[in-house]
Amino acid sequence: MENALRQLLDKYLVLSDEDLMLINNQLEFREFPRRTLIVREGETENYLSFVVSGILRKYFYKGRQEVITQLASEGTFISSSVSFFSAMPSQYFIETLEPVTLLSLSRESLHKLYIQIPKMEKLARLIITDLYLQKEKWEQDAITLSIKERFSRFVDDYPELLKRVPQKYIASYLNIKPETFSRLKHSLNHSTAVTA
Amino acid sequence: MSASKISRDHEAWTVLHKFVERYVHFNDAEFRAWQSFFEIRTFDKKQSVISVGEQEEYINIVVSGLARKYANLERGEVTMQIAPEGHMIHAEWSFHKRVPSSVIVETIEPTTFIAISHKNWQALLDKHPKAEHMSRLFVTEMFIIKDRRYYDMVQKSTREVFLDYIKSHPHMLQRVPQKYLASYLNIQPETFSRLKHLLKTSGTKSI
Repeated sequence: MENALRQLLDKYLVLSDEDLMLINNQLEFREFPRRTLIVREGETENYLSFVVSGILRKYFYKGRQEVITQLASEGTFISSSVSFFSAMPSQYFIETLEPVTLLSLSRESLHKLYIQIPKMEKLARLIITDLYLQKEKWEQDAITLSIKERFSRFVDDYPELLKRVPQKYIASYLNIKPETFSRLKHSLNHSTAVTA
Repeated sequence: MSASKISRDHEAWTVLHKFVERYVHFNDAEFRAWQSFFEIRTFDKKQSVISVGEQEEYINIVVSGLARKYANLERGEVTMQIAPEGHMIHAEWSFHKRVPSSVIVETIEPTTFIAISHKNWQALLDKHPKAEHMSRLFVTEMFIIKDRRYYDMVQKSTREVFLDYIKSHPHMLQRVPQKYLASYLNIQPETFSRLKHLLKTSGTKSI
């Protein structure tokens, strides 16, 4: 497990073995069966989590309609992050779609680490910047890309998710009508069959 | 040095000081040490600050004037940010990921920025732990604001989006061309005109 953590954090900055140990000591393993709501709207999110295995979705309700803003799989972060960083109630739900194992850091532990590890400020800044940029990109893609472009980019970037996540959830995440999504997926299968 | 330049510089440092003090406190000597990392950039109105394909090298804080960030799409321009005095604006993806920008930052009015280059920012972070602390708090705040804005835009009606924006930014209606505001708030230009007209004739309560 330490290896996976090191691999993840190395993307941001290189930490000493001691620092890594201190972080590791603060992390909690959390396991959930599939279809578990791990955060509900109105609750405060206490964790920033790294997905060890499984898939989760993050969403909110617009009226009675679910709007999915994130699909998280192995190697990525999941959190109702604004609630986590601000300690305000979450506006989002997070639900597991498969059995899920998370490596989670609580807000309290994060504050301990700011004191214990001088480099923690930098590490947190780089991770939060990344979360910010991902959100910026997701919003920008929603504005600038056509439906077809959003679909093909998703297929190229996340072929795994296309297999593992129910279609209606991907459609919601990409803000594509379910019928349109089916049609695009069908034409994709068709064209790969022709080229193959 | 001309009197106007001196007063402009003074204003720029005041804006920077206020901006930074929102996150960290420091004494005069510390602030003077930070100053050497920053520079003042001035632009005429409707001038490009960064264009598509260019590498973003700056974080800009508006001292005076007004700037906007937008994308140029087949279906027209989409305004993503309008930054008045005290706000930060730049092509953040390009700046952080070190890739060419896909967005445009352009001034609306003649604008002065207090700015820091990517190189100087890195140097400041390395040299001053308070800069690291401030940057973490700042990006966290940006992240929270971005998420709130997105959530509000999805949840609120067009009318609420319009009214809430006008209430919290009362001067923007005079300063920003209507088409940019409409685009930023994702409201059809005709609807925006109608709401603005209603606001003029009947005030915020009866819209």
